[in-house]
Amino acid sequence: MKHLMIIALAGSISIWNGACHGSEQDFAAKIDQELQRLLLEENVVVAPATSDEDFLRRVYLDLIGRVPSSSEITVFGLDPDVDKRAKVIDRLIESDEFANFWGRYFKRVVTSRATEQRIRLVEPAFETWFIDQIEQDRSWDQITRELITATGSVMDTGATGLIFSHTGEPQEVAAEISRIFLGIQLSCANCHDHPTDSWTRDSFHGLAAFLPRVTVRREDRDDPRSFAVRSLEQSNRRGRYTENVDQIFRALDRNRDGFLVKAEARGPFATRFDQILAASDSDKNGKLSLKEFESIREMANMAQPGRGELEYYMPNLSNPASQGTLTEPVFFIPEVRGPEVNPGSSDQTRRHALADYVTSPTNAWFARAFVNRVWAEMLGKGFYMPVDDMGPERFAMYESVLDMLAQGFVDHDYDIKWVYRTIANTQAYQRRLTANPSGEYQPPFASAVPARLSADQIYQSLQEVLQIESMGRISGRNRGNAIQQRYGIDPQRSQFVQLFGVDPSTPPEDIIGNIPQALFVMNSPIIEQNIRGTGNTMLSRLLREYPDDSDALSELYLRVLSREPTDREVSINKRFLSEIDNRNEAFEDIYWSLLNSTEFITRR
Amino acid sequence: MSAFVHESVSLNSGRLNRRRFLRNLSAGALASGFLPLRDVMSLHADELRQQGKSMILIWLAGGPSQLETFDPKPNHENGGGTEAISTSVPGIRIAQDWPKLASVMDDLAIIRSMQNKEGAHQRATYQMHTGYVPSGSVKHPSLGSCIAQQLADHENDLPSFVSIGQTIGAGFLGVDYEPFNVTRPGSLPQNLALQKSASRYQRRLGLLGELEEEFAARGGEQPVQNHRQLYTKASKLVLSPQSQVFDLSGESEQLTSEYGDSDFGRGCLLARRLVESGVSFVEVRSNGWDTHQDNFSTISEKAREVDPASATLIKDLKQRGMLENTLVVFAGEFGRTPRVNPRGGRDHFPRAFNVWLSGCGVRGGQTIGATSRDGNEIVDRPVGVHDLFQSICQSLNVDANHENISPLGRPMKVVDGGEAVSELFA
Repeated sequence: MKHLMIIALAGSISIWNGACHGSEQDFAAKIDQELQRLLLEENVVVAPATSDEDFLRRVYLDLIGRVPSSSEITVFGLDPDVDKRAKVIDRLIESDEFANFWGRYFKRVVTSRATEQRIRLVEPAFETWFIDQIEQDRSWDQITRELITATGSVMDTGATGLIFSHTGEPQEVAAEISRIFLGIQLSCANCHDHPTDSWTRDSFHGLAAFLPRVTVRREDRDDPRSFAVRSLEQSNRRGRYTENVDQIFRALDRNRDGFLVKAEARGPFATRFDQILAASDSDKNGKLSLKEFESIREMANMAQPGRGELEYYMPNLSNPASQGTLTEPVFFIPEVRGPEVNPGSSDQTRRHALADYVTSPTNAWFARAFVNRVWAEMLGKGFYMPVDDMGPERFAMYESVLDMLAQGFVDHDYDIKWVYRTIANTQAYQRRLTANPSGEYQPPFASAVPARLSADQIYQSLQEVLQIESMGRISGRNRGNAIQQRYGIDPQRSQFVQLFGVDPSTPPEDIIGNIPQALFVMNSPIIEQNIRGTGNTMLSRLLREYPDDSDALSELYLRVLSREPTDREVSINKRFLSEIDNRNEAFEDIYWSLLNSTEFITRR
Repeated sequence: MSAFVHESVSLNSGRLNRRRFLRNLSAGALASGFLPLRDVMSLHADELRQQGKSMILIWLAGGPSQLETFDPKPNHENGGGTEAISTSVPGIRIAQDWPKLASVMDDLAIIRSMQNKEGAHQRATYQMHTGYVPSGSVKHPSLGSCIAQQLADHENDLPSFVSIGQTIGAGFLGVDYEPFNVTRPGSLPQNLALQKSASRYQRRLGLLGELEEEFAARGGEQPVQNHRQLYTKASKLVLSPQSQVFDLSGESEQLTSEYGDSDFGRGCLLARRLVESGVSFVEVRSNGWDTHQDNFSTISEKAREVDPASATLIKDLKQRGMLENTLVVFAGEFGRTPRVNPRGGRDHFPRAFNVWLSGCGVRGGQTIGATSRDGNEIVDRPVGVHDLFQSICQSLNVDANHENISPLGRPMKVVDGGEAVSELFA
């Protein structure tokens, strides 16, 4: 641990060469070469490759979201194959657990910022959909296109998850598309030109103008869950008032007396006439003048200006009730090529055009945002941080490395698994965690950094360690259970994620846990019952199987922390065992301490 | 850290009470002519603590009808037949379902002219809790978190922000000001009761502390340090005699029954106990105010819980001399349409609604603002969400201009705009 190598000396080590996915390993080697060149320029000392134990725990947590079982650790440790690291990476990426873990992750990337509180309606279908995409090797551009262009009932069509997260509001959806797929934060430019970046209000609203015809509505009046994402192909009632009020007024005013009365009203106007009259007949003469009729439009706009229009209107900030400025769809990054969209184009034409721009090979940010995010998840730090705040005016660490990876991603047709396989095979990923007692600045990627596990990782690791299928009741609240069951989704997981969950785009150093989380691990009946040294528990079986305390201790460490205890830990625990004089109780306490340790909830 | 920065900011802006500051200074420090910055800080923190101000938010989720609460229109068809009753203050009349609150009208200031634009539950709820409209790019902290950030006594074993029922969280302000959630007032919060004896629990904590050093030495020093802080806080709460605050059984039977045999009643009683124990912000939530149908019977029924509980809270706080330093705010996310719909309900109406405030410098016995005869328009003194928030900050002596830095590096004021409603304090 104390032997740090100067990178110049770090030659190629055999385990990084050869084997099944040669191209990824070769590519990983090129990445390492470039990164080491840059680190060398700064005279940075890089840490050596980490031990097999630490590597295995890390790669299990990163690729499938749980700690390895004790037998998986043993088998890996005994395997003499020099290519065993590359092989375990391949095996994990091809497993169902990989698709499950990363499908959930990407679902949470989208839903964590939802402004629609009924988001739970779409979540089960959305999760299942995302997992399927990864399982079926759908490429990132295909997935992106489906999310942008989705229509259908939200309970059945998982791909509507992004649009429904923001109730189809063009401004919110546009900001999220930019943030998630391009890593660019545009939403400041909603109200004013971006204070530090070159984005203007026009950039933002030109993007939103791809989306005015997206509509989210409840399809069955009696079913509060029957929401659907649809294309608006005809302006709705409110929209109709906005154009040519004079003309409409004259058409409705059959007797040409300059006033509208109920007898003249036809169609939808007739059914709402009383209501409209009550609200707009300001002189209370029982009929509507042209001026009063115009005020209807203003009222409609008052609630949500521009809503229900076929075209997009940029809000007028000094007069929010007015209709705003007609804005045509224009993609905000000038160098990106894509189709021109004519005013009057249908919803699907617009949304597919937007997908073309976003996923275009001429749009460097699309590939960069994805590889930067995955790299950051796996190495604890991205080239750009936070992962969703990149863009031309942000600073990237070791940008040429990011560009190599992004180009590789484009060249491999946005193959998601290629990215994971490549990153996991780099030396950069496989470095050792090193002590930094002085707390001085360490350039990223020279050694591993500890990162707190996500809610899913902790949940699945607890399942693995405690050897239980389900966690039991975690909280008093059980909303959404029926929908979850329909999709075969574990409701305990959702409760656990409610307790431990964090927006996955949050930088790891900002995640420090909270009191209810600590209370759950240290003091919940669920944990307490499952760490008993008697009855049908993992510990009780372990203690029977290993009558010798040292053996039992080693096995317990292997199961909980995926490693053998150090000499110091052995002596601390041995002393504790002798003080307590009750083997079961003492081991329960040791088990409790390991589950409550920082190390258990940290990737090392 | 952020609390520290804030204190230095308000110190520099001269908010420190100079006289008390000098009085508290030790003669020695004065003599030496030098006072370490840390001591200045802690003195100022003491000062804020000594003020002991706190807030209770009574939240009526769903959008309570202004016409069936504090702005009845008995002489107009929009009034829907709801009668007005007189209150302890001559000339002020409120809706019939609120006799107990009518009897403490002396202590309430009703704002009848709240206005806003957000007519969707989630957006309006978010805005009425954070002062900002929702945005995908940033999770704003709720006002409760901002208040806790400025007022909380960090020595206290209890969390600084407690919510009885769900609420909006601390957003980017982080875990220190995240509301501690109580789902069932009257019983101990989840996982707070010790599973094993206190001595065994401490034994475990001791072993954990020793074992943690190994990972700290292997490169995990920073996470181990954070974890240790968190566990210290959590175990302090578990072991603290103060956690008894959640147990209501010590309260007199008479008082308990005045608060009422309901979760909301117990929530209000718990809120008083929490504030008494130094918690800075408590929210108590009542659900079910979204009365699209059967508006009148629904509200009568809900008021039978909420009226006695909230009125008893005011009386109880006053009797204990706590109302001077406790601000109580009673609000929902918006009002309801003056016109009654065909299902006997009222729909969402952000254009005019009401709230009341009580205590902590607010002059009771008054109404502020007015709506038209039919309830459709505000005809006097419109008050926006920012104005309300500014008023709350003024009452609590919280710095509304304090800037928190969002994760994207953008400074965001506690309240961005608006002006305090001066009549509240006149």
